[in-house]
Amino acid sequence: MRRVLGWAVVCVAPLAAATPPLVGDAVCAQCHRAEATRYSTTPMARALTSVAQCGILKDHMDLRFREGVYQSAIRREGEGSVLSVTDGRQTLVAPLLWAFGNGKAGQTYVFEYAGALYESRASFFKSVGGLDVTMGAAGSTPNSILAAAGRQMDPAAARDCFGCHATGAVSAGRLHLENLAPGVGCEACHGAGERHAAAVRSGDVANARLASLGKMTAEEMNELCGRCHRTWAEISLNGPRGVNNVRFQPYRLTNSKCYDPGDARIRCTACHDPHGPLEAKAGAYDRRCTACHSAAARTKTCRVAKAGCVGCHMPKAELPGSHAVFTDHQIRVVRAGEGYPN
Amino acid sequence: MVVGFCGMAAAQESPEPILQRAIELHRAGDVEKAIQQYRAYLKVRPDNVDARSNLGAALAGAGHYDEAVAEYREALKGRPRDPRIWLNLALAFYKSGRIAEAAGELSALHTAQPADPQVTLLLADCWLQQGQDRKVIELLTPIEKEKPDDLAIAYLLGTALVRDKQIARGQVMIDRILRNGDSAEARLMMGTAKMSAMDFTGAIADFQKAVELNPNLPDVHAFLGVAQKESGDMEASRAEFQKEIQQNPNDFESNLNLAVLLKQDQEYEGARKLLDRALRVRPGDLAALYQVAAIDLATGKLNEARLRLERIVKESPGFLEAHVSLATIYYRLKRKEDGDREKALVQKLTAEREKSK
Repeated sequence: MRRVLGWAVVCVAPLAAATPPLVGDAVCAQCHRAEATRYSTTPMARALTSVAQCGILKDHMDLRFREGVYQSAIRREGEGSVLSVTDGRQTLVAPLLWAFGNGKAGQTYVFEYAGALYESRASFFKSVGGLDVTMGAAGSTPNSILAAAGRQMDPAAARDCFGCHATGAVSAGRLHLENLAPGVGCEACHGAGERHAAAVRSGDVANARLASLGKMTAEEMNELCGRCHRTWAEISLNGPRGVNNVRFQPYRLTNSKCYDPGDARIRCTACHDPHGPLEAKAGAYDRRCTACHSAAARTKTCRVAKAGCVGCHMPKAELPGSHAVFTDHQIRVVRAGEGYPN
Repeated sequence: MVVGFCGMAAAQESPEPILQRAIELHRAGDVEKAIQQYRAYLKVRPDNVDARSNLGAALAGAGHYDEAVAEYREALKGRPRDPRIWLNLALAFYKSGRIAEAAGELSALHTAQPADPQVTLLLADCWLQQGQDRKVIELLTPIEKEKPDDLAIAYLLGTALVRDKQIARGQVMIDRILRNGDSAEARLMMGTAKMSAMDFTGAIADFQKAVELNPNLPDVHAFLGVAQKESGDMEASRAEFQKEIQQNPNDFESNLNLAVLLKQDQEYEGARKLLDRALRVRPGDLAALYQVAAIDLATGKLNEARLRLERIVKESPGFLEAHVSLATIYYRLKRKEDGDREKALVQKLTAEREKSK
């Protein structure tokens, strides 16, 4: 019998994932108002929305998509949206339940059919202003009306999807939709807040402490963020290979020559403020780079330019099927004609 | 195996009546009382090898295999290489899932008694459980030629051949079994052959038929579980592994595969118990050791995980998953150079894997 090897994910658990009971962001905001307010507008906070709250579906009352003989439509009906797929002879209709992704690049929907959860075959893409084939589904041809509507999510896939896009959905390895709070909430990273909140209210300083994320090493932070953005270990074992892994930043960062697991200057938060919007201006990152690369520090500096580091050393690559480009976090000297390093 | 004693001189205050009573109780099936009597006798006559061997048999009959092993070993000190006691020792190991030890004893016994069919078949079965298919083939091929109609040999040899991907030769054995009509054994072998050809749908159909014909056939649920796992049906595969373990708590593949499923659900304690059992059957199995290391890593026992993984990659330098985990651990321990070295190895092995696809 075949050897059982690593079997999908190498199991690493950097911090205990937040498990119920959780207090919710509103409780955190009672004391941490500034952070909570800033954070609430970030893509992570809106990684999952209910269909009732989904801005894209409210703004697009009637979305259409044709694939061969199948015609799909997502229509707004009151507070919800309904997916219908027809081949001209029969029609499948299912109300959408959840919207995954905040739509900055795209948004995919989940519906329930015959007791199972399905990922919609069509997703909304901002760059096309409408529906196209969901990433990962491209290259396959639906052979039934149900397949044209979506792909059944097995329990592990549903657990993984909701586990990252929501807070409190997964407990002891199992999915509990009844417990979830949409989006990546405070407790997804900082841990369950019940004990902390209770301790603060009662003035128990010793028990009020949460794990200090600010003191994490680059490796620890890679593991934390990599729980969802995928670690080096997971992608090394399971792929994907090639440019399809450009969106997995911890993996790409670890492949950088300059990656040092113990150096805080290369950790995710060295460049990104997780409580605020993503900085889009390339030049804003220059001083992060010069934290390590400067003449004053007597380290390697660029012979070509003194500004706009990320434009050259972290080029963007289009993720096939996503209608979007991602910054490649494998920091490197890019040579002319060089392919995607992986 | 109970040895009766006749014509024993009954000395005054002789303990022989105690032994006689033990044998009668043993024959009547009252093993616990028989054990007490044998022990009482052996306090007075500790050198009586046959009595000690009988005690071993009674203990084994009551499921006290570890104690049975101790008594058989003691008996063999008094009469080294007694084939009957030796075989009983091997059987005690076999029944308690200590397959590696059973195989060791049976292998030595087979060398001493190559014509004993029971020893040969048991040895073949142990080696099959340990995944040592080539040894089974080497052992049984000459015998199969002499006994072409022996279905037990055909089944064991055929299974080993199919698992060793010698499908054509294995098919000859399958056909031999099928001559007697459709059977669970034949279906199991056919399903195994289809697994080798990555035809998991076909394999599932054969295994399900095997279950229908004989739900108690050893290994059938384990193989069905693996086929379902390969085809993505994790819930069904979990159920099959559990069924196999119910019938055979020491089935290596079921313990290992179920442990992996439990580990994925973060049920680490349960997974660890299963892995411990798997390692009793195949001590030092790298796949099982890797899973133990993965649990250590998941539960924060970095040094334990590191030591296991270092041993694994030393024995198996091409074990990609172990190198990945080791790199992760080195980085967590802030051993950048070691982590970088492992990362480079991972990249090399990954490139080789991609190239060979």
